[in-house]
Amino acid sequence: MVQINLPKNSEVKKGIYYKDKTGSKNIRKVNVYRWDPSLGENPRVDSYEVDMDNCPSKVLDVLNKIKNEIDPSLAYRRSCAHGVCGSCAMNMDGKNGLACTKPHSEIDGDINIYPLPHLKVKKDLIGDLSGLYKQYESIEPWLKTNQKVETTEILQTKEDRVKLDGAYECIMCACCSTSCPSYWWNGDKYLGPAVLLQAYRWIVDSRDDEKKERLKKVADELKLYRCHTIMNCTSACPKGLNPAKAIAELKKMLATN
Amino acid sequence: MDNNNPLSPHIQIYRWHISSLVSISHRITGIVNITAITIICFWIFSLLLGESSYELTKIFLQSIFGKFIIICLTWSFSFQVLSEIRHLAMDLGYGFELKTTKITGLLVIFGSIFFTILFYLLGRNFI
Repeated sequence: MVQINLPKNSEVKKGIYYKDKTGSKNIRKVNVYRWDPSLGENPRVDSYEVDMDNCPSKVLDVLNKIKNEIDPSLAYRRSCAHGVCGSCAMNMDGKNGLACTKPHSEIDGDINIYPLPHLKVKKDLIGDLSGLYKQYESIEPWLKTNQKVETTEILQTKEDRVKLDGAYECIMCACCSTSCPSYWWNGDKYLGPAVLLQAYRWIVDSRDDEKKERLKKVADELKLYRCHTIMNCTSACPKGLNPAKAIAELKKMLATN
Repeated sequence: MDNNNPLSPHIQIYRWHISSLVSISHRITGIVNITAITIICFWIFSLLLGESSYELTKIFLQSIFGKFIIICLTWSFSFQVLSEIRHLAMDLGYGFELKTTKITGLLVIFGSIFFTILFYLLGRNFI
């Protein structure tokens, strides 16, 4: 259901203002979404004044600096810091992306950081992605083959391999799915760009023998056709992939097969 | 998962871009157009009831407010048609690159304004 307003317990209140203590002249205001499950209060946005002279180039560095030097209670996911693991996916400056690959110099004015949109918040910038993972599981993202011999490789031509480019690189960071308004309103039924891109990845894989069954599985008005080519997914993808095009290809396959 | 956990902000914070703007406008103009077509049908139907009921609508449409509505409808129909062409191309699998969507989106927006002005000038016999 389309619900524009946030529920009462999710309305964001004004938070604490942390003034700069370093005396630096190069200060930037960073507004971060905060919610602590132990307080039983509404979420709030805290503002931090960060000394940019001693801060590396990415948004994740800004967060690390806040956590290390200003407020250790800030919670966010991060791991590789090289845009590979997908842990630090969040909404920065109104757009989803990976904090570790997004330079803060690309953001004008205050740096606004929120969790990925329309998720149940676990703490601060950490959203609950279990629904998405369940959907991912539902498309059975593993190779299904009729081949009886398990000791030899299944060969693939170069042309067939090329079909996987732009699909296999996905790191499942959920930037695309949580940027999609259709997924916000119908996330319980609509699979969303991330999962559909993976569905596509297995459907076009020449080594997989269950193409038809897989297609049949996603051929559902709500599972697939909730995509209205809003293109938020493609514009959000930190790996430069194109889930919208993959979804269009799926629709095309279903229309022509 | 505890359902009392808050929902993270979504449409309140997400930045708009050309494609999302065109997409939502496509839906809104779609609703406006279907309503307009229905009303136009009723207007034509009212002809059957005689000249006076026809005149009433005509007087309304010739008022400044009526003219404003007609111009708005011209825009929303132009927008819908152009945006639908864009969607048709997308259904065929074309125009999914970010740059292309931006360009086609802008074409739809400016094209709809262009057609609105063109139809206005044609309607007023200026061209």
